[in-house]
Amino acid sequence: MDFFTDGLRRGAELIFSGDAEVFGTTWLSLKVALLATLIACALGVPAGFVLGTTRFFGRRAVITTLNTLLAFPTVVVGLLIWGLLARRGPLGRFGLLYTWPAIVLAEVVLAVPIAAALTAAAVQAVDPRVRRTALTLGAGPWQAHWAVARQARFSLMSGVVVAFGRVLAEVGAAMIVGGNIRYHTRTLTTAVALATSQGDFGLAMALGLLLLGLALTVNVLLQLFQGRGAD
Amino acid sequence: MARISLQGVEHCYGDRRVLAIPAFELEPGSVAAVVGPNGAGKSTLLRLLACLEVPTRGTVRLDGRPLARPHDWRRARQRVTLVEQRPLLFPGSVAENLAYALALHGLRGRAAAERSARALDRLAIGSLRDRDARRLSEGEVQKVAVARALALQPDVLLLDEPASAADPASTGLLYRVLAEERGRGAALCFASHQLEDAYRWSDRVVALAGGELAPVTPANLFRVDIPPGTGPRTVRAGPLTLQVYTERTGPAIIALPPEDIVVSTAPLHSSARNEFRGRVRSISEDGRGGVTLTVDVGVDLVVRLTHAALADLGLTLGSAVVLSIKTMAVRVF
Repeated sequence: MDFFTDGLRRGAELIFSGDAEVFGTTWLSLKVALLATLIACALGVPAGFVLGTTRFFGRRAVITTLNTLLAFPTVVVGLLIWGLLARRGPLGRFGLLYTWPAIVLAEVVLAVPIAAALTAAAVQAVDPRVRRTALTLGAGPWQAHWAVARQARFSLMSGVVVAFGRVLAEVGAAMIVGGNIRYHTRTLTTAVALATSQGDFGLAMALGLLLLGLALTVNVLLQLFQGRGAD
Repeated sequence: MARISLQGVEHCYGDRRVLAIPAFELEPGSVAAVVGPNGAGKSTLLRLLACLEVPTRGTVRLDGRPLARPHDWRRARQRVTLVEQRPLLFPGSVAENLAYALALHGLRGRAAAERSARALDRLAIGSLRDRDARRLSEGEVQKVAVARALALQPDVLLLDEPASAADPASTGLLYRVLAEERGRGAALCFASHQLEDAYRWSDRVVALAGGELAPVTPANLFRVDIPPGTGPRTVRAGPLTLQVYTERTGPAIIALPPEDIVVSTAPLHSSARNEFRGRVRSISEDGRGGVTLTVDVGVDLVVRLTHAALADLGLTLGSAVVLSIKTMAVRVF
């Protein structure tokens, strides 16, 4: 048990001492996760909306594919993106491999299916009368979509949070395409993996606590948002 | 010219054809009623008229102009509105629901507030203004939805069973308010399975069966003139003289429900005050597990009975029968 309590104590010390490296790593994690979530939602939410509200040939196949992608192994995504960005790969000339934008790219690929699938599920769950009622009251197509989105807003927001959670906690792809380079591409998750393998349990614990704290903060913010909306 | 019309319209869901209407029109300043059993296609017809669905085949015209481009349908929906059978109110107060609808028509602020107050007052639900829409009873939701539609002052107002959750007093008020809408030139159409409501509150009754327009022969209907007085009165319905019980006087329509007519081979000593002698003119399956008889009693009356009853009486074409119906069973509307 001492091992644990020592680790926790050292973790707390590192956090409260304002260690520059620890905070740099945290900031990079947050930056990557927020940016990847933003881009993934910008792509995935509209796609999911179309998927959830319109009928077209092959729709079921697209939904099945998306649901499969939800369980896509992150190291495989990392591997594919590595192949794309490697010097001999199709996007090699941009020199993105082992940079933080490369991590963002990999995370976007992981998060788009989540945003799209959860959005599709959220809008499909909305009472079909919502869209019809808006239309009969004279709404245009965009206004009708907006009426549906308003009804689904809590589920949509949950989708965003799930996507953010996946991106924040992801380690495999970030390790492969980022390279876990100190001060440059080291995120909280890759740093925890490294510190643990090096036997620095205290550092790993400090970073783990920060990761938990970030996840908790985002969820609390969502709860507050939902609570206000439900009144 | 018709306000809105359907021409050669067919509508399918997948491979299933749910509606086939060669021609249907709603005139400005008129009320049409669509009657028919569940699944007859009433709601689909209203959705097509509401420009919510594009028919699989055929043309929808508004003021004579066919709706072709998506933009036409959108413009049409600004002038046509539908109150569904189970209408939906958005989360928020009743006033906010009306404000939302009016805002979609570019009406905000005081003008919108006045319109919404007037619409609520017309249906005597002004007191619901600030109530949470999610805490209303089914009947209240229906009334608010009608008020929301009235506030928009649409050129075409469509209602699917608008009084299905209303008590008799509210039903009367609702239909009176709808009838007033004729005055500003609106074309109205409501679906109902209550024949009484359909005949009493519309200028024209259209029947739908199996997705097709059926000739309206709701059985045994007569136009009569009810003499002054209260309680039981004697009226003449074509060649028949019969007793009815009603509070109404003047022109009315009476119906002898085919299920309520008793068939016998000899006069009965019973409480039925109306008795007609005649002969069986036709016997047919009614498609619902029973038998339909047409009996000539000076005029054709339709009677429904069971196979067992038919066999018991030993009726064949030309059999002499006596039809009896209680005064109280004669429907007046």
